[in-house]
Amino acid sequence: MALLEVKNIHKSFGAGEVLKGIDLTVEKGDVVSILGASGSGKTTLLRCINFLEKADEGQLLFNGKDYHLLGISKADISAIRRNTGFVFQNYCLFANKTVLQNVTLGLTSARHVPAAEAREKAMDVLTKVGMQDHVDKYPSQLSGGQQQRVAIARALATDPSIIYFDEPTSALDPQLTAEVLEVMRKLADEGMTMIVVTHEIGFAREVSSKVVFMADGVIVEEGKPEEFFVNPKEEKTREFLRLTE
Amino acid sequence: MFNEATLELLISSFPKILEYGLKVTIPLAALAFVLSTVLSVFVAMIQYAQVPVARQICRFYIWIIRGTPLLVQLMVAFYGLPLLGIHSNPFVMAVIVFTINEGAYSAETVRAAMEAVPAGQLEAGYCVGMNYMQIMWHIILPQAFRTAFPSLFNALISMVKDTSLASSITVVEMFTRTKQIAGQSYNYLPLYIEVAIVYLLFCTVLTYVQKRGELSLASYGVRK
Repeated sequence: MALLEVKNIHKSFGAGEVLKGIDLTVEKGDVVSILGASGSGKTTLLRCINFLEKADEGQLLFNGKDYHLLGISKADISAIRRNTGFVFQNYCLFANKTVLQNVTLGLTSARHVPAAEAREKAMDVLTKVGMQDHVDKYPSQLSGGQQQRVAIARALATDPSIIYFDEPTSALDPQLTAEVLEVMRKLADEGMTMIVVTHEIGFAREVSSKVVFMADGVIVEEGKPEEFFVNPKEEKTREFLRLTE
Repeated sequence: MFNEATLELLISSFPKILEYGLKVTIPLAALAFVLSTVLSVFVAMIQYAQVPVARQICRFYIWIIRGTPLLVQLMVAFYGLPLLGIHSNPFVMAVIVFTINEGAYSAETVRAAMEAVPAGQLEAGYCVGMNYMQIMWHIILPQAFRTAFPSLFNALISMVKDTSLASSITVVEMFTRTKQIAGQSYNYLPLYIEVAIVYLLFCTVLTYVQKRGELSLASYGVRK
């Protein structure tokens, strides 16, 4: 059974319909890359799945349970979020907390994990992203790439079943992008389930198990990267790939 | 006017004035400041979270308090509370009025500071599994406090001087005590200048404390 399945998500902002009925299935261990031009709705899709935006319609199947996106209870939202991680485009590290506190807070505060245990877990994941030597720094003292790696560690710390990445490298220069993608590649190799909204065609091609292309609020085409990139079926996809070459 | 007798009066009155400053003016301002800050955080949070009904009540409270003079509020409390069966000493009454008055102004300061915290901080809190109150406590309020700190301290400095209005409801604070001494000696101006200097002294100390406070709160590593 799929780890996560969304059905028929609709979302409008005012008069503009941003998502026009999206269906998406993610198996355990999948790395799904969502491609598409700005304004195609890919970020909104991710935000709706984690309830940062309220969808107007749609269903979510997660860890074997069925939820209606509209009218879902606070308790259900919080239960789902406890099993997911989210990495933002602009990192959104807690500005008043050190690197270590950024990672432990979700454990000590939200899950009542004892401080020592949380610290151990935090050092584990910070080592995994190569940030173990910066634990006492504040976010403002780090480069963008370092902040994003801490954000990934923060998402990892709570052992989520899936991590959502919302354009994780869009705010970074090529060198910092490479260091963040390196970490994400490592996670993918370890079998972490991820949905990645990205403009990094290279990452989508080499790392993902499935590529989804969105335009104007609908999924135009999806498939395995080797088919998607080599033999795209839709004209819109071919045009998009030509532009990004 | 400034003869030897005046000088003697100034010297002999100084400890008496200072005594009431330390015994009444500072405790009144400090108590009202701490209580009003707590009150303002509650009022600001209700508005920030857009709690229905409670939010309208908060707006009403702020409207009433900011729209009427502090002196009038003191008088209304002084003559009005006993009618409601609430009898308390003037000092306590003054603390209550100053708290409610300052709470309304500081609530706006704190609300603005909370709204200045980027929305991503709240979203990131949700995404690591924290609930609303946990995010407020660990993330939003600490960051807002840093922004609000200079304005809140401004309010405290204002309040130290405004406590002189408490004399109107029979609280014998530093200014009232000065008036008494001046009345006994018929030598007003030198004593009023003297008390002005003591207020200035208090506020100078507070300005220094504010500077130290800002440095120690500073910037989460931005500049140290």
